[in-house]
Amino acid sequence: MPSWRPSESAVTDLYQRARADRWSVPIALFAGALERSARKAFATPPEARDLDRLLASLHLEDLALACACANGHDGAWEHFVREHRPVLYRSADAIDPTGGSRELADSLYGELFGLVERDGERRSLFEYFHGRSSLGTWLRAVLAQRHVDRVRRTRRFEPLPDEEPAPPARSEEKPLSRISEYIQLMRRAVTAAVSRLPAKDRLRLGYYYAEDLTLAQIGRALGEHEATVSRNLAKARREIRTDVERHLRDQEHMSASQIDECFAAVVEDVGALDVTDLLGVAPDQPGPGGGPGSERKASRDKRSKERPEGASA
Amino acid sequence: MPERDRDQSVDQMLRRVMSADAPPQEECLDGETMAAWSEGALLTAEASAVERHVAGCARCRALMASFIRTTPPPPVTQSLWRRWHLGWAVPLATAATVAAIWVALPKNEPAPFATAQEANERARDERTAALSSTPPELSKQAEAVPQEVPQELRQRLDEKAKVAEPVANEARQRSNATASRELTDVQAPAPAAAAAPAAGAAAAPAAIAPAAPPRVAAAERAEADAKKEAAADSALGALAARRQAFAPYQIGSPDGSLRWRIVNGQQVERSTDGGTSWTPATISSPDRLIAGASSSATVCWFVGARGAVYLTTDGSRFVRMPFTEMVDLTSVFATDALTATVSSADGRSWRTTDQGKTWSSTR
Repeated sequence: MPSWRPSESAVTDLYQRARADRWSVPIALFAGALERSARKAFATPPEARDLDRLLASLHLEDLALACACANGHDGAWEHFVREHRPVLYRSADAIDPTGGSRELADSLYGELFGLVERDGERRSLFEYFHGRSSLGTWLRAVLAQRHVDRVRRTRRFEPLPDEEPAPPARSEEKPLSRISEYIQLMRRAVTAAVSRLPAKDRLRLGYYYAEDLTLAQIGRALGEHEATVSRNLAKARREIRTDVERHLRDQEHMSASQIDECFAAVVEDVGALDVTDLLGVAPDQPGPGGGPGSERKASRDKRSKERPEGASA
Repeated sequence: MPERDRDQSVDQMLRRVMSADAPPQEECLDGETMAAWSEGALLTAEASAVERHVAGCARCRALMASFIRTTPPPPVTQSLWRRWHLGWAVPLATAATVAAIWVALPKNEPAPFATAQEANERARDERTAALSSTPPELSKQAEAVPQEVPQELRQRLDEKAKVAEPVANEARQRSNATASRELTDVQAPAPAAAAAPAAGAAAAPAAIAPAAPPRVAAAERAEADAKKEAAADSALGALAARRQAFAPYQIGSPDGSLRWRIVNGQQVERSTDGGTSWTPATISSPDRLIAGASSSATVCWFVGARGAVYLTTDGSRFVRMPFTEMVDLTSVFATDALTATVSSADGRSWRTTDQGKTWSSTR
């Protein structure tokens, strides 16, 4: 019969595999944690086979440690601090080299220890750990989450630039209104072209153009070699360009010279509208596949220009 | 307009479009799902759903980007020679290997902080000091020869002892600790022989007879050892030099008053007497320390793996400074307590002018 609750024999077996007795974790507490993991993974009660498969894939020792820490076991907490604090601090330094994330890491400790009270009861952040990843990876993800949310909160209180301020006229031949119109047109066309790409391509573009990750970092995240990342980025950009050209020609009924003007308007407008400038991204980064050796050059340049997200706040 | 210029336009527009903060269409992901996704622990359907969400949600994408920045690069597991673009480096590497073997031959190996001659002298002093405890045993055993030994046998022993004496003296000065142990071991039956007369004079000749030849043999062996020693002097010096080569990495202050050294890769010791005695400094790095630089008697920088940068401004207490990337730093050049330049294993460099609080890439 489908159920989220594992059988007693399964709980006993998993308890032993998790070596939860090291931290004197009550078996009922551990069983509750396993059930929470199952409820998190399955929207409806799973078949016994699926449940067994899920439970077998959990990071059981980490789950037992989290249970023990949430339960207030001193030895478990000391072990956790000894094993994970250096990793957490290193991650905080990597996220924000100016040291801004250290306080986030410290506040995370407070929440993990259970300083936060809800309904008069001490609640530990460990209760949100279900063992589907390792404890260290989960901590890094939570820290990154806190950092991003803080940066976004800070931005919310800063005055935002106008959505599309009127760009300055660069030449007598191109009136202001026409340049603005071309830019709006290009923006819509590029947005539509991006939305038609597969999710992985959009993710790759976002990592590269918006998040300023290096090709190597993107490659590690997506399981690709950095040269493959560069090729895929170049391919996606080529598809977008072709799509935009087709849209301007077929939908907007533009002539070849007008299409040229559209593309030129974007380049001429660099600086006045580039949002990424405001976010701390250098405007003159070379694109992927832009010529011989450009993959490595792009990677090198981007790495050297990499800035923490906190710098934009 | 050439395609290349159009690509530039697309680049510019992509930066704007991809940075646009569109509201997410569905509920954002929690940290554990992100973590499990990054570890590849999600089922295919779950992973696809997460990928779709992250691709369209600016917040979750930024979250993942921050998370990716905290992920240390994995060690290189693929052989460099399997990469086609490094094929040209094979003959070069072969030549470099031959050169390295030639350089690594013992006779050519220099000590990092002492010349080979100094190292040789130091090794010899150590051996002499080690030997100084053994001669009394030799002399005692020489005195232990009983008076009841027949005259003829005693005469023969004395003659051989006279021959052996200069050699033994030389051995005392020059033989190493191993040789002295051998001598002591070989002489071990002598005390038993010395005790024998107390039991009865008749037993003495039989007891002393086997005891004497080992003494002579030991002396002869010492002589041979001494000759070998002289011949192998330079080789031993080279061995000492090789031992010095594994000595902890030292950094001296410009005025020479202070020295620091890296011990076991993760601790630092300092010496105020030119390296004679060392005391541990207050630093304990979880990452391997690789290099250091001192700009004054109280200022010293250390760098190491995974972006480790430590600085002391009082000559003893080190503080870890934040660094921009999790890279292995292999060298540091310090101008003062505020200004330093560090380099990574992949050839990049960063400079700080505010005591390591911020770093800027120099290339």
